[in-house]
Amino acid sequence: MLSEVYHIIQDDWPLLLIGQYPNGPLGGIAATLLLSVLGISLAFPLGVLVALARISPWLLLRAPATALVYTMRGVPLLVIIFWGYFLVPLLIGRVVPGFVTMVCALVIYEAAFLSEIVRAGIQALPSGQTDAARALGHSHLGAMRYVVLPQALYNMMPSILSQFVSTIKDTTLGYVINVPELTFAANQINNRLLTKPFEVFFLLAVIYYVVCWSLTQLANWLERRIAAKRAGSGGAYRKDLAVQDGQPLPAEL
Amino acid sequence: MIEFSHVNKRYGEYHALVDINAQVRKGEVVVVCGPSGSGKSTLIRTVNRLEEIQSGTLTFDGQNVHAKMSSKELNRIRSRIGFVFQSFNLFPHMSALENVMFSPIRLRGLRPADAHDKAMLLLDRVGLVNKSRSYPAQLSGGQQQRVAIARALAMEPPAMLFDEPTSALDPEMVGEVLAVMRSLASEGMTMMCVTHEMAFAREVADRVWFMDAGSILSMAEPNSFFGNPEHPRAQRFLADLRAR
Ligand SMILES: Nc1ncnc2c1ncn2[C@@H]1O[C@H](COP(=O)(O)OP(=O)(O)OP(=O)(O)O)[C@@H](O)[C@H]1O
Ligand SMILES: [Mg+2]
Repeated sequence: MLSEVYHIIQDDWPLLLIGQYPNGPLGGIAATLLLSVLGISLAFPLGVLVALARISPWLLLRAPATALVYTMRGVPLLVIIFWGYFLVPLLIGRVVPGFVTMVCALVIYEAAFLSEIVRAGIQALPSGQTDAARALGHSHLGAMRYVVLPQALYNMMPSILSQFVSTIKDTTLGYVINVPELTFAANQINNRLLTKPFEVFFLLAVIYYVVCWSLTQLANWLERRIAAKRAGSGGAYRKDLAVQDGQPLPAEL
Repeated sequence: MIEFSHVNKRYGEYHALVDINAQVRKGEVVVVCGPSGSGKSTLIRTVNRLEEIQSGTLTFDGQNVHAKMSSKELNRIRSRIGFVFQSFNLFPHMSALENVMFSPIRLRGLRPADAHDKAMLLLDRVGLVNKSRSYPAQLSGGQQQRVAIARALAMEPPAMLFDEPTSALDPEMVGEVLAVMRSLASEGMTMMCVTHEMAFAREVADRVWFMDAGSILSMAEPNSFFGNPEHPRAQRFLADLRAR
């Protein structure tokens, strides 16, 4: 079986790697990574903003943020993608590329879930932290930015990482609106070979696993670095302190 | 410097502060004591408006703290009132030095180099220069509380409030924190301290306020309060305190 997988890679690596590019749109792993990176890097700041709006003292911010979160939580991502694909062009009167639709749907959807994680992280902090910041004279936003968020985001790193990994896996849904990402490419190969579905989709699973695993490693490294910094004046990483300081990251997905 | 006039505070139905009339003069050290739940924390937290009040007025240095004002104004008042918590509340993601430097840089626009020098002086003053790079998790309770005092002092407040600063500490660490507070008092700092440290109160306080059920029942010199308390509630409270 492995030799079959090897043959698939040998014959079709450009399709798996970059899709039809440069003769067609960018696809394959490159498109998947691009979707993931855009999705995560836009959804994360948006998620933090939505979380801040959700707990803000101003109703004008709180209400729309809450509505967004409830909607996204109650509707499957696939349905959001279909909305974007079929309804948005009707509303704005022009064609939207599938890739753009996919990025927007991912960002809004994942941001809503990230915001709930961030909000939980903020509300889990002892109220003494905000009290101390306010007593010193810091503004609400200043206290959030410099005191609350750095701790909340660090404490929630394992959950945030899970959400990032979900984002990568959710890029597969681009397939249904013909975004030529990795799953789309694998399906093309499968349709051509006809007799090797197990090998093709095994390869697909391995590639996704490696991508998600790399992200986990990156997060572990980042967490260790922060823990090492807090364990003392730039000294060596001390595991005992790191674990005490926040939950350790799960080793596997 | 701090003046309560007909201050009332409710938590829903519960009347937590009942018609408080009192004042702390400039340079005065007031110790607030009373049984658990009597409203000491609530009282001290209304001074920098960590708690709202329902009626009455409270002035700090001539300013009405609970007046309608922009959050900017309120933050400016707060930065002039040092507050020390029972549970320290140091920022765990910052080193001791960063805890002390942070607010002057963010709020006063101090240059980091100047803030650093100033913070080191303050840490020296609380006896912790050699711990400047340690993070709160690596410090003992007494050390954390001394950093917390330095952090409050970094804003150069004309008055300091302490809410049971030593009650979360192991007995052997109480002394080092009280020593810092004592030196502050001797330099003429206006202080309002919720504490049950009787020796400290006797030695340092100008007046002792005794609270029960949301009211201040007596305000007296420490010698007369501890020597012969007139109020029966205070007598019982002191007897309980000595029995512990
Ligand atoms: N957020 C709150 N909501 C409702 N009731 C509260 C709240 N905070 C305090 N109280 C009540 O107000 C009363 C006074 O509380 P406070 O914390 O001021 O007491 P204290 O004198 O500081 O007591 P301790 O010595 O235990 O710290 C208590 O009966 C408490 O139950
Ligand atoms: Mg209290």
